[in-house]
Amino acid sequence: MSLQNLISGAECALPANPLAQVLKHTEGDRTLQRDRLAGPSTSRLHQLPPSATISANERDISLARQFFDSNAPNIHAPSPHILAPNIPHAELARRLGTPVAPVSTSGDLQDAWTRMEMQKQRLAQHRMQEDSMWAAEFGNAMPQMSIPGSSNQSYGQPQQNFARSSYMPQGSFMQNGMQMGGYGMDMMSSSPFENMHDQKGKGKGRAEDFEAAFAQFSSSALATTQSARIVEVQDSDTEGIEAALAHTGLDDTRVDDGVDSGTTFQKVWDELQKSDIPPAEKDLAKWEAEFNQLMSSQRDETDLDFGSGMKEAWESGLGDYDQTNALKFTDQGIPLLGDYVFETNNKYLADNTTSPLAQAKALLEQNGSLTEAALLLEAAIQKGDLGEGGYEAWILLGDTRSMDEREEAGMRALTEGVKRAEAAGARGAGMLSLAISYTNESFEKASLTTLFRWLVARFPDYTPPPETSASLSNSPWDSQQRVKDAFLTIAREQHASGVVDPDVQTGLGVLYYNSGDFERAKDCFESALTVRPKDYLLWNRLGSALSNGNKPEEALWAYREALQMRPTYTRAIYNVGVACLNIGAHKEASEHFLSALALQDTTEGEKSEQLWFTLRRALVAMNREDLADKAKAGGGLDVFRAEGFDF
Amino acid sequence: MSDLKVDGFKSSEILATLGSAFEQFSEAEKKNQIKKTNGIFELRVKNEAGQEAIWTIDLKKTGTVYKGAAKPKPDVAIILSDETFTLLADGKLDGQKAFMTGKLKTKGNMMLATKLDGVLKTAKAKAKL
Repeated sequence: MSLQNLISGAECALPANPLAQVLKHTEGDRTLQRDRLAGPSTSRLHQLPPSATISANERDISLARQFFDSNAPNIHAPSPHILAPNIPHAELARRLGTPVAPVSTSGDLQDAWTRMEMQKQRLAQHRMQEDSMWAAEFGNAMPQMSIPGSSNQSYGQPQQNFARSSYMPQGSFMQNGMQMGGYGMDMMSSSPFENMHDQKGKGKGRAEDFEAAFAQFSSSALATTQSARIVEVQDSDTEGIEAALAHTGLDDTRVDDGVDSGTTFQKVWDELQKSDIPPAEKDLAKWEAEFNQLMSSQRDETDLDFGSGMKEAWESGLGDYDQTNALKFTDQGIPLLGDYVFETNNKYLADNTTSPLAQAKALLEQNGSLTEAALLLEAAIQKGDLGEGGYEAWILLGDTRSMDEREEAGMRALTEGVKRAEAAGARGAGMLSLAISYTNESFEKASLTTLFRWLVARFPDYTPPPETSASLSNSPWDSQQRVKDAFLTIAREQHASGVVDPDVQTGLGVLYYNSGDFERAKDCFESALTVRPKDYLLWNRLGSALSNGNKPEEALWAYREALQMRPTYTRAIYNVGVACLNIGAHKEASEHFLSALALQDTTEGEKSEQLWFTLRRALVAMNREDLADKAKAGGGLDVFRAEGFDF
Repeated sequence: MSDLKVDGFKSSEILATLGSAFEQFSEAEKKNQIKKTNGIFELRVKNEAGQEAIWTIDLKKTGTVYKGAAKPKPDVAIILSDETFTLLADGKLDGQKAFMTGKLKTKGNMMLATKLDGVLKTAKAKAKL
């Protein structure tokens, strides 16, 4: 969606033009105070340095402030009534792209509204201000069908947004601080967008027209009785509005430099962030998309100093930087890692007698060396013995590599495995492990996507709302919440029937882990463990949730459980070392890392770089830089034994 | 890197650790990080006394941390307080939440700022799921 369209879209259907409406909405609000504010909004902000001074933005700031603090005339009682009916309709309308017609109150929305009101007084208050203004002006302005009429529509949209935000359960409020910004964006984007719209050269004239129109019509609106009433927007009316918008949309000039808007935006943004109002959950995606758009337009424009400087830097950077090294991602965040790299000197390749796959499985059963098992699996794959469905060996290899603290190899193997499993119709095999690998490597978007795909594969009867999968390509912050919701829905269903599905709990735990909510992640893993107490992977996961949640001692206890069940679980040993590091027990940490490395010492291949790296950290923390220098790939471990490390 | 430290800033400790962490990266690790992050972050940290210190984390070309403004221009400039940065690095505060509550401001490629979390995590050893 181009920003231009947002401002003055040719398809002037109300829902498709949210920005325009929000913009006008703020405009309207300001009429009474217009006199005492400095400067017209229409002046193009001249090339401002990134740290734009307040002067030109003063008005925006005051606009923002007004929004939140103003005591604009309020219609308290009727406004909820007005709001409630608009919610579903507006939402629907927006989605369908049709003009909105507010309908009469629907009861449950009303209830939700009152509930929400009680919860967030301040929110309600602000919302009511907006609503009342909207209601009054809308009701009164309907007869005036020209530009002011189109401004009316603008009221509709932000109102609906506000309504929605209040309607949304407050659970989302705490979860995602992002939402606040989104909400704020909706409320306040009018001013920055107004500016941006100006700067985009869409016509100072146009803004001026609106302002004039607003002055005239708002004052008339305010002058009239303050009782709000629901007015049906007739189709004919909306056509008039559309026409008006279409007409103004034709003012199109070149897309102007949007960077100033970025800076003005930033200012207003700062103001916004001082408030705690959460945005509508559903708007998060929209907001996020708009925000991204704004930010990318900011990056794209070259007129402003900062923008052009950055562009130069970007280009020169491109010149220096070897582009082929950059990791590429799909639009859903999945990194394109390349094929799995097999070990070169694999002694099992030559051995043609026994099935390496069977051997590997046996080895894993007996808690044998993970590195050896991996070699066997590689041999199996290279010989074409892929196990069940053509994917089993790959997934097993991936899991083994991950357990052996070789994340990248694990990821590649799992990617391959999951690809084949999907082709074979397996219900989500390997996806959880892959998502976890992505999380460990901070590919959070990929993790989200993969978890979602797992959920859908594992529960084919469950149909998530369509926005969920759409959000995966667009808005990482919004999609986090949506995927969580999807998981929670399934989890609740299961809970209602008394079932605890450890996989669903694991997936949910990973989701919480991704967003840093380690407490909840811990709870999820614990419930999974009630069903599978012998699952060492789960114990490790619990441990990590505790460890990253700053509970290293409890984490150690969980890791020990895992290691009791699988003493060769390299990753768990690594994690124990990390926990020690966090406690400050550097020597013990080093010893743990060394034992993990020792486990990997059975092959000619390289040991895990991650292990070496963290060992170096521990050694430096002990002020043994000399040893740190020795701790690298290809290094021997005996030198450390000689130094008194016990492993 | 002791020259990363600036008195009166708790963040400088963290950045010093980050800097030495980067130093210890092997070539392969460094390339990996650069590949993953691909950006130059300029951190403008303000402490309670009102002083401002600037550090640059270059994860695009050199893979280093150094004091002072970015050369060439950074991909994203992040403005925050000493306190915020410490919380961020400890993992007590999520980068997104910080941004949304106004504790963290960005100029430039905002999306890149979300990667800062990941970068800071390399300063602190993280347990693996």
